[in-house]
Amino acid sequence: MSERDSVDLSGDRGAQDVRESIYHAAFLACAAVSVLTTLGIVAALVVPTIQFVSEVSVSSFLLGTEFNPKIKPVSFGVLPLVFGTLLVTVGAAAVALPVGLLTAIYLSEYASSRRRAVLKPLLEVLAGVPTVVYGYFALVYVTPLLSAIPGLELGTFNALSASLVMGIMIIPMVSSISEDSMSAVPDSLRNGAYGLGATKYDVATSVVVPASISGVAASYILALSRAIGETMIVVVAAGQNARLPSSAPELLGSFFQSTQTMTAAIVQLGLSDLAGGTTGYRALFAIGLTLFVMTLVLNLISDFVAQRYQEEY
Amino acid sequence: MATDTDTGRASGESGFGRVSRLRGQLFESLTLGASVFGIVALAVLLAYVFWDAFGLAAAEPGWYVVFAGLTLLPAVVFVWYARRHPAVGETSLELVSTALAGVLGGFGLVAVLEVIAGDEVWFTYFCTVVAPLAGLYVYGRLDRTATWIGVGSLVALVGGPIVGTLLLGPLTTVAALLGAPLVYLLTVVVPAAGIVRYVVDDRLGLGNGNYAAAGLLAVAVLGVPLVDRTGVARSVWLLFVTALAPTALVVWNNVADSRWPGVVGPAGVAGGLAATVVVTDLVGITGPAPWFDWQYVTSDPSQTAADAGLYPAIIGSVFVIVLVAVTTLVVAIGAAVYLEEYAPTSGVAGAFARLVRINISNLAGVPSVVYGLLGLGVFANLANLGVGTVITAAFTLSLLILPIVIISAREAIQSVPDSLRQASYGMGATRWQTIRRVVLPQALPGTLTGTILALGRAIGETAPLIMIGVATTAFSPPSGLFSRTSAMPMQVFVWSSYPSEAFQHGVVAAGVVTLLIVLLTMNSIAILVRNKFERETH
Repeated sequence: MSERDSVDLSGDRGAQDVRESIYHAAFLACAAVSVLTTLGIVAALVVPTIQFVSEVSVSSFLLGTEFNPKIKPVSFGVLPLVFGTLLVTVGAAAVALPVGLLTAIYLSEYASSRRRAVLKPLLEVLAGVPTVVYGYFALVYVTPLLSAIPGLELGTFNALSASLVMGIMIIPMVSSISEDSMSAVPDSLRNGAYGLGATKYDVATSVVVPASISGVAASYILALSRAIGETMIVVVAAGQNARLPSSAPELLGSFFQSTQTMTAAIVQLGLSDLAGGTTGYRALFAIGLTLFVMTLVLNLISDFVAQRYQEEY
Repeated sequence: MATDTDTGRASGESGFGRVSRLRGQLFESLTLGASVFGIVALAVLLAYVFWDAFGLAAAEPGWYVVFAGLTLLPAVVFVWYARRHPAVGETSLELVSTALAGVLGGFGLVAVLEVIAGDEVWFTYFCTVVAPLAGLYVYGRLDRTATWIGVGSLVALVGGPIVGTLLLGPLTTVAALLGAPLVYLLTVVVPAAGIVRYVVDDRLGLGNGNYAAAGLLAVAVLGVPLVDRTGVARSVWLLFVTALAPTALVVWNNVADSRWPGVVGPAGVAGGLAATVVVTDLVGITGPAPWFDWQYVTSDPSQTAADAGLYPAIIGSVFVIVLVAVTTLVVAIGAAVYLEEYAPTSGVAGAFARLVRINISNLAGVPSVVYGLLGLGVFANLANLGVGTVITAAFTLSLLILPIVIISAREAIQSVPDSLRQASYGMGATRWQTIRRVVLPQALPGTLTGTILALGRAIGETAPLIMIGVATTAFSPPSGLFSRTSAMPMQVFVWSSYPSEAFQHGVVAAGVVTLLIVLLTMNSIAILVRNKFERETH
């Protein structure tokens, strides 16, 4: 081969240098796409929101207790939507947080490696099922199943079945992050406790869980953020009835009735007001910005908790 | 440390002799119950939806008996056997996932070549872009001294589409003269036979590749008279034969040695299912009345449940996902290579790289509906790509899964040992040469696994598609990048709001099953890629 006979040792690469810098620039551009995405999200949300608050005041948006974009006089109070979101999130958390924590304890402390190898991929499947499918499950199978319980008056669309199903979906998010931090607890701590006469139960609940509390807390916050941003389950199964309860019994009753979350309101407006130019169209982005800020803050808190309160071994 | 005092208190309180065995056992069962709770709940829901989609309630009791005896029993026996023989299990996983991938790939080929592009347009661009590129690649493999291959490929990539557009008239006339089946035979089956020859000869060492290639061509051509009788189009047959060729190779590769039960097992279960149908037909037992059938996959949506189908939505989803796969893979690998191979740790560029890393982990937590608003504001309205078009949907979903794919690509690149890079640099390779010849080939399987899993997420996403105005119901598949499209999850979403029993427990269930089968296929391909890769590195 001719290349091997005439090796160029001068170090002058000429065209090759140009090629190298072209590739460098191309890779840099790819990395920049992710930053541009963030800027794009912020710009796409903020610009219509500024227009929106010039039409509807900030206070009547953030503190308004009526959300009624369809029938005149229209009102765009976000509080009923925030309430709906919190309602569904609390329901989902009531399922996912305890179940996820217990799952993590089982996987990290009790399960044999063979069982773990079976359980972990199966748990991941829970997070991999499309959310529209979960919404369909909640509407068509879970709601009739719950309605069969005597004394439970459920609407066709209700917050309860949507939040139960959402809870199942976010179990793996809690369990996988919690388990990672439990597995990071060094065995010397466990052995120390055994040496003091602790049982396996004592070790799991009084040593491993407190030692991994930062990871557990971080996973809880992430799961809440995921529940707040979840869209299709509530759109399909929880209905479109934005309301704010005025008394305590009404608050409990909200679970069994149709409710509307922020994400569901975005979808409702998106299905009707996509033409652009209307206040409803801009309200879409204002609610989107509120949602984005809420989830971003929760994600940042989760990161902060995980790093700040992490125990170093 | 906070934990020290806690443990001291706990053991002090319980003390020796008051250790409760029961409490520990109860707690262990509680944690075990929690672990399986979600899995069992999902399994029950899936059982319901499959029961509905396949209309099993309509079957007579006798059918269940025949089904249990001829299909379920062989399946259970085989699974039991495969658990004791891991090699058999792996072989059957490989076979089943390549077969499923073949069917999915066949649908993809038909969707992209036949429905969206059309045989004449495909022929034009094959002649001006694909064939020159493939020719240059093969020549480059044969003659290693040809340094102009890279530049030549670039010229072909840029110039090919221009030449193709200019020559669209004459070349479509040629394609029309050849006819669609002959076009696919020349542009798809024959190149595939070339690849088969190479794989059989050089990669697997199974024997004479010429025979294998000739076999593929013979099956494709000799099958045509048979296919004509069944009413399936010749083009569809040719494309499916090509997509299923890898399955044939898997069978051939495994059937010869001790792994043969891995092939015979799944074949036996499939044969059992066929036997169930034949036996119940002969005896005259009423079988199930499935909603999920060939009619459902190939017809347009309808207001009447019995006629409703998912065809335009399937084609739309396939089109969008193919575009998402291409754009995401390119950008994600580029970003990951920059972060792992180029980015310095200090200075302006270092700060930029840190920003990108933090940014990526935050983007992964942004709700998908917000990405929909980004797509609506930026792609649909600002860039004027159109509301609900294929390209808007593809860009939006690409940005949605980009953070996940970048993270998995970074992990794959990190796992390439530094000694390989240093050896490459030591031999005088430049940074780009090292990346292209050493790092990327090693990191590709890991990246592909992550990408396929992320694509599975993209194919089920609904909220962003609603926001960018993707059609809830489309009666014809998209015809180009800028045409409006529907998608499988959108159709499922719309149908789920129909109150009628036939829709809720029939049509939607079938849509859900279609979506889940596609997801299952993609996930099993991802697992297959990962398994192959792990075996190669160990």
